[in-house]
Amino acid sequence: MMLEPAQRAGDAPHRACEQAAVPLSADGGRVPAIRLAAPSSAAGRRAEQAEWMRRRRLERQLHDGAALRISALTLQIGLMRHRIPQADAELDSAVDALQDELHAVLQELRDVSGQIFPPLLDQAGLGPAVREAAERCSMPVRTTIDDDRFGPAAEGAAYYAVLELFAALDAAPGPDGQQPAVRAGRVPAGDGEPVLVMQISGVDVRHADAMLAHVWRLGATIDISRGAGIGTITARIPCE
Amino acid sequence: MRVALAEDGALFREGLEMLLQAAGHEVVGSTADGDALVELLAEKPADAAILDIRMPPEPDGGLVTAERLRAAHPQMGLLFLSHYAESHYLMRILQIGTESIGYRLKEKVGSVDVLSDTLARIGDGEIVIEPVLAKRLVERPRGDKKGIIATLSERELDVLRLMAEGRSNNGIAAQLFVTPKAVEKHIANIFGKLNLHADTAEHHRRVLAVLTYLRSQRGED
Repeated sequence: MMLEPAQRAGDAPHRACEQAAVPLSADGGRVPAIRLAAPSSAAGRRAEQAEWMRRRRLERQLHDGAALRISALTLQIGLMRHRIPQADAELDSAVDALQDELHAVLQELRDVSGQIFPPLLDQAGLGPAVREAAERCSMPVRTTIDDDRFGPAAEGAAYYAVLELFAALDAAPGPDGQQPAVRAGRVPAGDGEPVLVMQISGVDVRHADAMLAHVWRLGATIDISRGAGIGTITARIPCE
Repeated sequence: MRVALAEDGALFREGLEMLLQAAGHEVVGSTADGDALVELLAEKPADAAILDIRMPPEPDGGLVTAERLRAAHPQMGLLFLSHYAESHYLMRILQIGTESIGYRLKEKVGSVDVLSDTLARIGDGEIVIEPVLAKRLVERPRGDKKGIIATLSERELDVLRLMAEGRSNNGIAAQLFVTPKAVEKHIANIFGKLNLHADTAEHHRRVLAVLTYLRSQRGED
């Protein structure tokens, strides 16, 4: 559901709304922004981090366990066919069908893995995973993401937040001339913890609400610049 | 062919060894990680190495191993097998080499014929890409590439053909008796006509252009 920023302050309990600057924005921080945030306790943040670790473990378990066994099974079936002398055409097509079916099973497992914790995100990081997702978006999205690692929690939350945004762009492409761009990188920690800043420009800022749902439990905030309509959404996510 | 392989999943590794032998290939060695394979191949000659991408040394041991193998044995074919067909890995693979190299899904090489055909094409110097991935790359949802190759000029097509052979800009210039600057200009025109946006990395666009071309050559466009 998309809400106008003005309606947003009261749409969830615990949600604060305040004016803030956007230091990383292309406008040099002069554009006033609306900040979306929700109070999160240290214990809640630790629980959320543990949840992301659990999701990553589950994905690895699927890859190293079930998926590998099924792939090995396709080899064994291929070997079996080769060993049966003068295999007839009927048997051949039955073996083909069986292997195709195993491929379909694996495709479904890949789909499940992608929803638990994208393997590319785990193996290669936020940049490659978001670029791959952007490639599947119906609209050209420019991506500039630091070649850096931010820990499974921040990476997972940022990835699914941006994925939801891409899905929204697919469903409602918005006005012509819209040029979505995703920038992300680390803001060096001063005395506090390091922060992953992800800035999405050229999009309908009403999508910010759906993005907040993915990141607030980690203590993240989301800033919106230019109010309603096309603008910039900036998520700040505490990271490793 | 003489084949060596590295794969950390024992079940899959053993299955692959048996299938390779059944297909009449000689398995010169098989290891559970990339470093052991590099050591093994320093002693024993092989025509091709089969590599799992996601194996030790973590996180993507297959890629670092392939770089070392390509440097040490430039003639050796490289076949990557993975549980995932991702364009990210394809780009990294094509940075290692654009000749005698392949990338396929693990469950798609489960027959003697497919496995032998894949290895033979790699042995002939070809790039073998999992069809599902090649298709995804050229059929981007917004880009209708049908017949797009037909919009290229004859000279642009020459340039693209040479790119598909893995030649550098200077190499293309030498082949066509033109300056490298002229080649750059042709390539920019090709990227423009194929709708490969300027925000994509140069290498990435090059690969996409080549894939579009290869696909059109197979008459699938």
